[in-house]
Amino acid sequence: MSNQTNTSANYAEDLALSPEDERKIDVVGHAGLLLIACAIGLVANWVGTGTSPLTALPGMATLYIACIVGLALARFVPFYLPGVAWVSLIAILITIPGVPGAAWVSEKVEHLNFLALATPALAYGGLALTANEFAIARRSGWKIVIVAICVMVGTYMGSVVVADLFLRLGQ
Amino acid sequence: MTGKTGAASGALYLHILVLAIVIVSELIGIQRLPIGIGTVIFLPILYAFALGIVFNPAIFKATGKFLSRDAVKLSGAMITVAIMPFIAKFGTTVGPQISKIIEAGPALVLQELGNLGTIIVAFPVAVFLLKMGREAVGATYSIDREPNLALIADKYGLNSPEGAGAMGVYATGTLIGTFVFAIMPPIIHGLGVFDVRALAMSCGVGSGSMLAACTGGLVAAVPDQKDIILALAAASNILTYATGLYVGMFVALPLTEWLYNKARPSERRTAA
Repeated sequence: MSNQTNTSANYAEDLALSPEDERKIDVVGHAGLLLIACAIGLVANWVGTGTSPLTALPGMATLYIACIVGLALARFVPFYLPGVAWVSLIAILITIPGVPGAAWVSEKVEHLNFLALATPALAYGGLALTANEFAIARRSGWKIVIVAICVMVGTYMGSVVVADLFLRLGQ
Repeated sequence: MTGKTGAASGALYLHILVLAIVIVSELIGIQRLPIGIGTVIFLPILYAFALGIVFNPAIFKATGKFLSRDAVKLSGAMITVAIMPFIAKFGTTVGPQISKIIEAGPALVLQELGNLGTIIVAFPVAVFLLKMGREAVGATYSIDREPNLALIADKYGLNSPEGAGAMGVYATGTLIGTFVFAIMPPIIHGLGVFDVRALAMSCGVGSGSMLAACTGGLVAAVPDQKDIILALAAASNILTYATGLYVGMFVALPLTEWLYNKARPSERRTAA
């Protein structure tokens, strides 16, 4: 069934693949790294929007807790759902009108710009690329670049057309 | 002993370098470049990614002195950690809009199947125009982010032709995906054909950086619709996290296999 060789195993290791690894998430270790990420996020928000880190702190602390709880759920719940999915579900739950504290959470996270929070991840992303990944992109050649662009455009536009159609039908 | 100190300082340098890149990127801020058919929008996440590549030890040898192999590995782990607060913030935009989300429910669920559009657009290009072999199956069946790649690895192995195709699209998407997803939605919005809610809910393709780029570009283009754009994109992204792997496994990959066997009957091989 599985015809993986050493080469493919190496690839997978270099690219940190295999979703089942998430089952073994070290929640405590992640708590420290997440603290660093949140601190850099506060600075990004400060520089990008002018909101002082002190004003944004309660909102960020709330997001931090949502992340930790989400990671813990991904680790301990007996069926597979990615950590990011759990984090999203918790964040939704605590902001649904009527849920205790929802108004407070919504008001506090409003001080955080969503795009500024993504900036640190992309900086890490650029630095994390390995020589191997550059090599794969080069080796694959121009045909793959064209196909990759078609894949992205196709995935996006396919959804846009279907969504638009059903929004119109629903009106 | 020294090794441990080295790893710790490597990690410290990594976080400081990221902090510096983030500050510079946010200072530059969002830039707009009007072109004939719309506006190209440049976002801080693009500069951050580009600066990250510039200072990547594999490209810029000088940073190799400060950033050890371990630091680069840590950087990889930090991507998934650092995207978490963003994902959480995104989730908090859904709750207050929950009634509008439910209203858009059928469109929101069905647009997940629209992700199969990659097969409609990319498969013919790969097979008929570029004359690619079985690489086309792995390359075009999905957007080839981590879960999709894991599926290909499991079914064919990554050193198979299918694996090579998937890896190629994965690596290319990693390099230019943010750029493509920042540029494309505002231009399509500029056509004036599609509901902005449709453009927003299609942003959820299962990649945090593509989601950030896509919504960032849309919000910059239509600032007064910010709340609903974020909420719909977040909801659709969660749906993709939950369904993407299964759509790939039970629909997209079998469909692409079937199409390939129809297109190249002479190559037909017994199922692995």
